[in-house]
Amino acid sequence: MNILKRRDILYFLLPSAVFMIAFLFFPLLMLIFDSFFQTSDTGARSFIGFGNYLQAFTSGVFWKSTGNTLIYVIVAVGIELVLGLTLAIVFSHKFKGVSVLRTLALTPLMIAPLVAGLIWKFMLSNQFGIVNVLLEKLGIIASTDSILWLSDERVALISCIIADIWLTTPFMMLMLLAGIQGISDSLFEAARIEGATRMQVIFKIVIPVIKPVIISALVIRVIDAARSFDIIWAMTQGGPNFSSELLSVHIYEMLQRYGDVGYASAVAVLFIIILISITMLSMKKVWNVEQK
Amino acid sequence: MFSGEIGEGWHGKLWNAAVIVIGTLFTAIFLFPYVYILLSSLKPSDEVISTTPTFWPSDFTLENFKNMFNSMPIGDYFVNSLWAAILSTIICVILGSMASFAISRTMGSKFSYIFLVCVLCLKMLPLTSVAVPVYKIVQQLGLYDMKITLIVVYSAINLPFVLWMMVSFFQAVPKDLDEAACVDGATPFQTFRKIILPVCAPGIISTGIFTLLLAWNDFLFALLLTSTNAKTVPVAISEFLTAYNLDLGPMTSAAVLFSLPVIIISFFVQRYLVSATMAGSVKE
Repeated sequence: MNILKRRDILYFLLPSAVFMIAFLFFPLLMLIFDSFFQTSDTGARSFIGFGNYLQAFTSGVFWKSTGNTLIYVIVAVGIELVLGLTLAIVFSHKFKGVSVLRTLALTPLMIAPLVAGLIWKFMLSNQFGIVNVLLEKLGIIASTDSILWLSDERVALISCIIADIWLTTPFMMLMLLAGIQGISDSLFEAARIEGATRMQVIFKIVIPVIKPVIISALVIRVIDAARSFDIIWAMTQGGPNFSSELLSVHIYEMLQRYGDVGYASAVAVLFIIILISITMLSMKKVWNVEQK
Repeated sequence: MFSGEIGEGWHGKLWNAAVIVIGTLFTAIFLFPYVYILLSSLKPSDEVISTTPTFWPSDFTLENFKNMFNSMPIGDYFVNSLWAAILSTIICVILGSMASFAISRTMGSKFSYIFLVCVLCLKMLPLTSVAVPVYKIVQQLGLYDMKITLIVVYSAINLPFVLWMMVSFFQAVPKDLDEAACVDGATPFQTFRKIILPVCAPGIISTGIFTLLLAWNDFLFALLLTSTNAKTVPVAISEFLTAYNLDLGPMTSAAVLFSLPVIIISFFVQRYLVSATMAGSVKE
């Protein structure tokens, strides 16, 4: 029996729906609408059908942004997964001070992405950054100008990835740790009786059992990493020469700096379609895993 | 879990030692950047931008903090950030829990399925995409740079996340409670307020904390929608980014002041954070 009549459900839902429609759904529609037009400098609009989309597909910067986003997501999330899993396993042990260590290790979780970007921008600077000084002292590089983390095309993206890894590995660790702590003790008992080694326990019990958690965490992280903006904007603003330009940054730049509403909207729509497809696909996959 | 029964002996002791070493090492590495900024903010202001940076300050001073307060009305910005974050979180949690309640009680119907799919899609939107349309809407409504704007916008943006998290909490509450309350003559809203909410309190608190964090840390919308009146701290900090502004001392103090309260609060609410991530992960 459902105590909620149709009318009640409406009352409960309406306020939220109004907010989301006004500031999320409606802008989305505006975006789609704008993507089919071209806005000139004078503000005059002309319908150009899929013209903006064609422009995107033939634009070098668009493909570079997409490629960068792909690299960023794969590398960052990959490393975050491995590190997060290692740390989760480490912190699932009981030893003196483990909860203190764990609390400390979660510090980056709370920091604003913008601030994280600024911290790493400061640290990786070849003028006043401490990273190069440390590397030089350790003998890994010849001088503090050997690696130009933020102004060298080849490493700019990597610098952003480093900041992202610092920022979100604690989140991965948290999720995976929660998953590990949910494993029933009987499994470990059985392993102990069978005389399994610790490595065997990790690879044959822990990882398979928390697979749903790993997949959920991956989906969340992949989407969030793809949408990254604050960190990149703080560190390199997409440069130098678009080497660290992600799709989010590209869209923003096109809108703010170049005022090309139509083109930016088209890129945004494409981006949204990609993200939603990934989400839908992984939702199906997660459901299948659960059915097993 | 790994409480030492498996693989005992010197082998086990080696493992335990390795675990402690790895844990400590990683924690130290992860703490390093934040500690470095903290220490930098306490350095004399020219030492912060010296070309031969050191880890430890030569002298502990609050110069940078003083300069920061002098160079901009950072106190106002903090207040703006606080209002925007707290009020939008309250709105989000209230509206979100009501909507989640309704959804959880209509699960399985086509309507709730469609609604949930829509919410999921909205949750996945890249914010830079909708930021400019939102800016246009805000302008049209005459709400540019008003304090209330960010409160409203943050509420809207964070609602999908709140809904997504809370639906699972409400689903876990058995419908028998509803029925019992109904039999006792409670209206749906009374049932919601007096019965369901207390049961779901931990989940609601966890979601609230995460939402607060999202609103506090937001940069993009604050950048686009505010100018001088309703500016928040992240925007102020970003202004230290301009290429020719080399006075990074105040930047480090602002960054420290901005993150410190959140970090301290997080120490106290760890329990809720863990349970929130757990709920978010085991959801589907």
